[in-house]
Amino acid sequence: MPEPTVLVVDDSPTVRKIVQMTLQREHIRVITVGDGLSALTSVADEMPAVILLDIQLPRMDGYQICQIIRKNLQFRQIPIIMLSGKDGLFDKMRGRLAGSTEYLTKPFDSVELVQTVKKHLINWQERVPVPQQNMRHRLRYRG
Amino acid sequence: MDQQDRIMDGDLQTLGLQSILKMLALSGKTGKLFVSSGPETLAISLRKGQIVGLHEDGVPQPDILGMLCLINKLDPPRAQMIRELSQGDMQVALAMLVERGWMSESEMQQRLEFAVTQSISHALRWVNGRFAFHRQLVPMESKLRPLDVDSVLLEALRQADEWEKIASEGITQFTRITVARWQPEVSNDVRSLGLNQESIEVLCLSNGELSLQAVALVLMVPEARIACIMAHLFELGLIEVVDTVLETELQQDLSNIIIKCQYTLAQYRNTSGAEQHLLGLVTTLSECINGLLIHHGTYAKSLRGRGHVPSMEIVRYLEGCFGQHLRTLAKQQFSILDTATFHYGQLDCTDILTLSKVVKGEQLEEFYWEAVQGLAAFLRVIFTELLRDEVGNSHTGRQLTVAWRIFLSEIDHDIQQYQFYRAQRKAQKRGYENAHPPSLGIVPNWSAAPDNNGGFWSPETRRRSI
Repeated sequence: MPEPTVLVVDDSPTVRKIVQMTLQREHIRVITVGDGLSALTSVADEMPAVILLDIQLPRMDGYQICQIIRKNLQFRQIPIIMLSGKDGLFDKMRGRLAGSTEYLTKPFDSVELVQTVKKHLINWQERVPVPQQNMRHRLRYRG
Repeated sequence: MDQQDRIMDGDLQTLGLQSILKMLALSGKTGKLFVSSGPETLAISLRKGQIVGLHEDGVPQPDILGMLCLINKLDPPRAQMIRELSQGDMQVALAMLVERGWMSESEMQQRLEFAVTQSISHALRWVNGRFAFHRQLVPMESKLRPLDVDSVLLEALRQADEWEKIASEGITQFTRITVARWQPEVSNDVRSLGLNQESIEVLCLSNGELSLQAVALVLMVPEARIACIMAHLFELGLIEVVDTVLETELQQDLSNIIIKCQYTLAQYRNTSGAEQHLLGLVTTLSECINGLLIHHGTYAKSLRGRGHVPSMEIVRYLEGCFGQHLRTLAKQQFSILDTATFHYGQLDCTDILTLSKVVKGEQLEEFYWEAVQGLAAFLRVIFTELLRDEVGNSHTGRQLTVAWRIFLSEIDHDIQQYQFYRAQRKAQKRGYENAHPPSLGIVPNWSAAPDNNGGFWSPETRRRSI
């Protein structure tokens, strides 16, 4: 069984590095990308256990990415934690409607981040589907 | 685990590990012996009374592959490949190295035997705890050549005695989970320090990441001996003991400061107008400086571990550390920093932030620009000094330096955008580029919301400049 991977999607290199550093200290494998399209590619290639997703992203925003992942049978079970600077009720509702599992408001606390990620890493093995060779192909066409 | 398979259990105070192992060896038992004390558990696999495997739980397992890289016995790409394939199992990893011809069979056996002996030696010193023996739990295949219990016990007891000996000599601060790192001030060639080869190897592996147990494992030197060497290096002022709990706390605190400041920076990116953009940078920089000052007031080496330190002492310490730097920057390059003063250990930038009440237009922008440059320089001084003092040249220190540089590059990017705009504006003023007004697309968010207050970004201004 491979080790769980957390995918961090944020356009800020600072946020990507800090999240990576924080989670790696907890012995969690982390991969990071800076835009929406790369995020979808990474989901298909890496099958992350949890996705940390910023809302404001170049090329495709976090809501769109969330919706695409949720429409795909292969990846719909992956918990998506939205990371956003917007803490209004409307934004949280929009995130929920797009299919996010949880919502963390920036500037987030690193302890809270670790706790939230760990909470969603429990039972991740049960969610891991049977590996398929054409996952990327399936994501593109179902999405 | 089936209850009926458990054929023996009890308290370590009643029956010690040494006696249990001896008993199981004499009766030629096959099964798994679990010994636990506190959070630690040792599982020893026996086949016909011989040790065929051992697994430790409750303590972080050293990354043997990473350590082999550190002592130049393995290439990092090869280590990464084996790490992924073995999924953290040391026995499997070593067997893979042998399969590929990157390690000899005898070295693998030596390393496995050494690891077994170390773990049993450690467990022999447990006073309180429980044990249980289960039959039919032995793995079918083991990379370890069956070990005779008597010889393992003999060596393990000898090593346990060494620990007792060094404890009686007063070396008590080093345990198998102690992490040490070389002092940041040590930058000489280690060969010039007059140390023997063993001490040099321990010094080189004291990177703030590897535990004493891990160093012992990679060098195949008993843990007690490593503790002795570390104590000697500590006396010489070459290494310091790392408090991993403190470093985790410290890293979390600094990460939170950087995340908060990055958030502030991102918020101001959406503002329109050069002045507002510069003001955003001043706010971000001053927030970051003050965040770091608060942090250093808690985690500075000379302040921590002293219980409650009076706030005035912290204030004096911070001002003593950084006041001179601020004054030098103000005197030599950025005179606007004269208006920023230390107030109760915080940098008070109110005068800069409220400059708009005093000056307007280009002059205000010039002041803001100078403040941005001055504060950015001061921020760099603070962070460098803070890291050097708090974490030194450690793994945490290096990680934080990378994160910090990335954050600074975001600030620099914003500063460069302004510099570019400024250069274009100057050129335009000279009349060289009358046909090309400063591009509003340089800073996308500024042009996205042009203001109408006569600033440089408003349509009115553009008309005037043309």
